[in-house]
Amino acid sequence: MHELLLFASVPQHQHHELLQQLAGLTAMQPRHALERRLIFKAYRKPGLGASRTGGSQDLQASGDLQRVTKMLNGGMFYTQVVGPVAENDFSPSGPDADVQMSGTEGNSAGSAGAYDYEQQPWRLEFRDVPEAGTRSAVTARVMATAALPCGDVVPAMNAWGYHFVTEYVVEGDMFTYGDIVLFLHRVLHYPSTSLEDKEPRKHLPALSEMSVMEKSGSYVLQASMTVLDGSNQETMKTASRHLFALREKLRSAVKLEMADRLSLDTRAK
Amino acid sequence: MGIAPSHGRLLHPSLRVTAEKKDQPDTLPVEIAQINEQWGSFRDVNEDILQAKIAQEQEQNGAPPSDEEAEETDLDTAERRDRLYKKRNEIIQFAAQSHTEAMFALDFVSLLLSKHAPRQAETSMSPFLKQVAPLGSLNGEVVNPPAKSEAALNDIATVSRGWRIQNFNSASSKLLDAASRLDSEVTAESRYWNEVLAVKAKGWKIAGCHKIVKHSEFSTASLEATPIFRDRGLASLRRSADGALLLDKGLIPAGSRFVRVRVKEGSNISSSSRPSEQNSSNPDSVEYQILQARDSVFEEELYHELVREARAMAPSGVTVRQDHIRVPASDDLEILLDLVDSNDESLGCGRNSSDSENLLADGLAHSIRILLAFAHRQNLHRRTQIPSPLTGKKRPNPEYPLLRPALAYFQHLSYVRRLESFLRDIYGVLHKAGLETPDFTISSFINESKNPGHPAPPTLEVLLQNSLSPVKSVFRGDLLSSGSSFEITVRTTLLAPPLGTAYKVTVNSPAPDFKSPGPLGLREEVEAAIIHILLLDVRPADEDQKATPAEGHFWEPVYPHLGELVLAGQPRKYKKMKVSLSRHELSLSVHRVRKFDALGHGGQEPESQPSRLHVWICNPSEGTTAESSLIDFVSSQTS
Repeated sequence: MHELLLFASVPQHQHHELLQQLAGLTAMQPRHALERRLIFKAYRKPGLGASRTGGSQDLQASGDLQRVTKMLNGGMFYTQVVGPVAENDFSPSGPDADVQMSGTEGNSAGSAGAYDYEQQPWRLEFRDVPEAGTRSAVTARVMATAALPCGDVVPAMNAWGYHFVTEYVVEGDMFTYGDIVLFLHRVLHYPSTSLEDKEPRKHLPALSEMSVMEKSGSYVLQASMTVLDGSNQETMKTASRHLFALREKLRSAVKLEMADRLSLDTRAK
Repeated sequence: MGIAPSHGRLLHPSLRVTAEKKDQPDTLPVEIAQINEQWGSFRDVNEDILQAKIAQEQEQNGAPPSDEEAEETDLDTAERRDRLYKKRNEIIQFAAQSHTEAMFALDFVSLLLSKHAPRQAETSMSPFLKQVAPLGSLNGEVVNPPAKSEAALNDIATVSRGWRIQNFNSASSKLLDAASRLDSEVTAESRYWNEVLAVKAKGWKIAGCHKIVKHSEFSTASLEATPIFRDRGLASLRRSADGALLLDKGLIPAGSRFVRVRVKEGSNISSSSRPSEQNSSNPDSVEYQILQARDSVFEEELYHELVREARAMAPSGVTVRQDHIRVPASDDLEILLDLVDSNDESLGCGRNSSDSENLLADGLAHSIRILLAFAHRQNLHRRTQIPSPLTGKKRPNPEYPLLRPALAYFQHLSYVRRLESFLRDIYGVLHKAGLETPDFTISSFINESKNPGHPAPPTLEVLLQNSLSPVKSVFRGDLLSSGSSFEITVRTTLLAPPLGTAYKVTVNSPAPDFKSPGPLGLREEVEAAIIHILLLDVRPADEDQKATPAEGHFWEPVYPHLGELVLAGQPRKYKKMKVSLSRHELSLSVHRVRKFDALGHGGQEPESQPSRLHVWICNPSEGTTAESSLIDFVSSQTS
């Protein structure tokens, strides 16, 4: 699948107004979304791809081998694992309070709202580097999304050759305009703790304790459209046409433009 | 009204041409000068203004000025061309003359200035002047004019004061006019906007339209409707001169229309739905008009969707004609749908009939409207989800389920009733025969409720969603054999495959003979299956009851599935009984069999005389009930 994107930066003071404008444009109420995002990095498994090929092999074999080694060693990407969470999953009480609550009898109503890491659904989102040298003024990249089992994803990801790097939370509102998804969001960081960056958190801190990554509190408006068959020029053109039409519509409010290609580079160095 | 104020002075009555007839027409230069003097420059004149002016003159003079024109039209073309050339020459001459005069003036000024700035002045001097007059040969000096007399000064002061007063007067009157005009405009405008706000307060979506001034739009159709109806649902609210709200209906039809549902039983129409009552008493109020416009658009959309659905339902026998849809609901029930004017009195035939008669049609009419509203809500739900990836294929636009749920209900009802009457008949036969079969129970219209998603949708949507799910009825009954029961499930759906009505007959019994027939498609198959089950059930029942009177002799079922029993116990004399059950009768025929083959069960056909055939029939419908009871008959045969 291919993804076509346009981005715009929205300062905080414009956020509320833009929300209303988008609600009017799309004729729907915004859907508030909170997502945990875990970043995983592919690592080279020891032993794989270490086989050095000799210099004097026949062309047929070397061609196949080259392809295999290229596949194994060529692309090393960061991927992210996304899990939707609800606002009341962010409990102000720490992990100790949760234990107490689950211990007390008849307090099930209170503990029902607590965050349950074992039930957290996840999906794997792979994004390639945006295509280079495209003439049209949209960011286009190969994408793939796959559902993952609930609960702890780290063992599964480790088995696939990825290790956990870091995590953050994305907060925003989502709109649908025809085939375009508009996501007005910003990135939140967890408050720094001692066991940082070892594994995904089992408990979420209070939402008010989360700090905004962009200190000015500005938002990013992302207009995205997915195309099933990226090699079909006709649908790709239709998709970019739709995005351009949206850009024209929103011209007086925000300036949607393509992103810098290398800033969206997901390759692991 | 439509003319900009800068042109106003041209139309002022005091600037009219005085209607004096002169002996000789003026020459063109004179006329041009005159026009310039009187009316100002030609630059502001255009055809509209002249036309307006002519019309005004005609209005005021009353004299038809068409004499000259009539004469002119008589002139032939050659003459007109000559005249045109002549006029053209005149214009050229006049232009040349004015050019000469302008050059003279230029020469004069240049000569005058040449004293002070000889170099500059020389450039604008004509060569002739340069030859004739030397530079700087002309000078000018300021000369004090002679003092004017006191009287003249007084006159001038008076006249100028008079002019000023006049100007002030006209200015003030103009300002007052403007003020009053603005005042009325403000009143009208505020009235208009107040009314618009009142409309908005009632929950209508209102949007300003920039293209046309003083006009706002509002939407009567649902945003989720098919695009043509969504766009047609836009109507504009215009402002009348005094500020009252005018509803510009645009494409919305004038009269109110509605989808009429008629139910036809046999050959005559039994009930017909009526349009909904309008609450507003004042038919001129904007609110009433808006409501009417909304209803009309909704009804048109409803009919459009009904036609769309009816076309897809053609395999079920639904026909669409130019002006109506005909839906065969069940055996003698037919539903007719058409779009009619609601205030057409000729349609009032159904209005006088009582409510209970129209219950069916009204119910159907309400159900299709509720389902359309529900479909709109589903559209909204679908629209706000994250869309699927774009492909080259066009997305299908499935028909809304409007008629199909109702049709499934009718179909289901008819099938359930038939099955019920069938079971009642056969149970009647069994009871009449003296068998105490426990009665069956019906639980009709069970909805297969689905697991609601997360978060749970509103109750109303769950309710409607359930009405779209397949309709199910279950018949349950116990059999005479101990611990045995049967269950018949009837399931009807027209929305998802398998379409139509399907049956499932299951038997719970420890006896090995009973086997569940499983899913069945046809009514006849089900009836056969029921008869078969009951027959199998009758047989052991006979067995139980008959074993008692004659010890040692009992009927042994040989072909239980055919209802054949054999009286065993007597070595050489066999009696064979055949039980047959149908909807209307239960019959037992007993005859003697000479012998059995080696397999023990295959009965050879006996050389039976008719006198030896004993028959017992119980047929409640024809009234032929045997005098003796079933048990007595069997006992007598056993002994």
